Amino acid sequence: MALNDKLRDVFVEALGIDASVDVENLKYRDIEEWDSVGHMALVAAIEDEFDVEFATDQVIDMSSFKVAVDMLEGLGAKA
Amino acid sequence: MTARGLLDGGGRLVDAVSGEVFEPEELRARVGAVAAELADVPPGVLFARTDVDVASVLRYLAAFEAHRAVALLDAGQDREVLLELVARFRPAAVLGADGDAPEGYRGGVVGGPAWVRESADGVTPHPDLAVLLPTSGSTGNPKFVRLSRSAVLANAEAIADVLGIDAAEVAPTSLPLHYSYGMSVLNSHLVRGATVVVEGSGVMGRPFWTAVEEYKITSLAGVPYHYEMLKRLKFDPAKYPSLRTITQAGGKLRDDLVVLFNDKMLAVGGRMFVMYGQTEAGPRMSTIPAERLADKIGSAGPALPGGAFVIRAEDGTETTEPDVVGEVLYRGPNVMMGYAESEAELAEGDTRHGELETGDLGRLDSDGYLHLTGRLKRIGKVFGNRVNLDDLEQLLRGSGLDLGAAAAVPAGDKVVVWVEDCAADTRKAAARTLAEKLHLHVSGFDVRDIDALPLLPSGKIDYRSLEGRA
Repeated sequence: MALNDKLRDVFVEALGIDASVDVENLKYRDIEEWDSVGHMALVAAIEDEFDVEFATDQVIDMSSFKVAVDMLEGLGAKA
Repeated sequence: MTARGLLDGGGRLVDAVSGEVFEPEELRARVGAVAAELADVPPGVLFARTDVDVASVLRYLAAFEAHRAVALLDAGQDREVLLELVARFRPAAVLGADGDAPEGYRGGVVGGPAWVRESADGVTPHPDLAVLLPTSGSTGNPKFVRLSRSAVLANAEAIADVLGIDAAEVAPTSLPLHYSYGMSVLNSHLVRGATVVVEGSGVMGRPFWTAVEEYKITSLAGVPYHYEMLKRLKFDPAKYPSLRTITQAGGKLRDDLVVLFNDKMLAVGGRMFVMYGQTEAGPRMSTIPAERLADKIGSAGPALPGGAFVIRAEDGTETTEPDVVGEVLYRGPNVMMGYAESEAELAEGDTRHGELETGDLGRLDSDGYLHLTGRLKRIGKVFGNRVNLDDLEQLLRGSGLDLGAAAAVPAGDKVVVWVEDCAADTRKAAARTLAEKLHLHVSGFDVRDIDALPLLPSGKIDYRSLEGRA
């Protein structure tokens, strides 16, 4: 599975959103499910699923799906 | 001296989005301009759809300064919920409402888009009534806590006193403003001529921390979940030299996090305040003085100046003697006038006479500090045996098991305990621990795994939703 696809699933699951949502273009606070509480759940889920650990700045800079992809690639995460 | 209005102290507002700064004169002028637009609104209570933005703050302040009773509603609320409230309370206007106006209302402008009631006939709110805040009613429909102008102002002043808020303080809006704690941060800073930075992205957003640095924010207010977030973010106050005060309310923060954050703040010469309140008290009832926090971990603190706690023991007698457990009663100038579930109740006067039955169980210690032990009503039954669900959660926290956040809800003759990120083995161990400690059969405790506990906008656990899933 491509990294994007796996991350997409993690977003859907962690934020409890419908699979029909355009996740790839999602930004923080675009939808009510991705509020600060949702963000915390999301970050924890991504760390678990990709076996990575984000630094403080990465957690608060993860402002969109695309940024999350870049960060995971930067950390050498595999799908 | 009690302020006559929220703007008398010369408070300032900063819009973190635009960078605009509202000095006291400018703020008064802007609030006055919105208040002038209220002249076209028929008499009656106002609804204000409230977001964390400057327009929402100006509308709230305009209503308050114009002596118009105003109900603060979550701007994110579903339209159906809003329309139900509009039908039930028939507000004179709904500020911040866009989209099609419902029947009986026309589109208008009051500090932004509004629905204005077409008929001038309606219930006149009681003249003392200033702010209405939503809370969940027994039937599941929201009802309002009725706060008088004097209660709101008295609480703002008392909070400012115990936190030592002065004109040099700079507070961000880290909480929703329709939530009583968020409102009280705004009020208590404005009455002392302090600065409030309106920033909506919250502690998980980069703009929030940019604002902390840019505007030299001095304090941060959070509910327990914010402290879980700050822990997750490895929050280090040394990185933010201006930020030297943190406050916590909105439910009990686990003791280890109180210790962790108090130590972090002390290490940089800062301070932490742990507080207790309820929307029904406008909202603050007590605060632990920062210098006593380390030796009062787990306490809710002494009553605010002008207030007092009394314990109503099981036999109905009231006492301030130490170590008697019973229902916590609070008496003070900030207690609500009562609830409103219908339009007619908006006209009612004070039905509480300064006394609030908190529904919390607790005891006072020999220093007069309150220690909460649970809720009067959060009771479950396990095979017919009454189990205090808060005690049960506390028991798990102190069990030595490595558990995430846990929430217990009644489920028929059992208790369902939701635990975040909990493996099957740990769930079994948790159920066994509860059975042993409470001397009840292990099958009465259904411990389930959950990714994240559902939360209310206030950050508190949404027990109602969990009960629905149990």
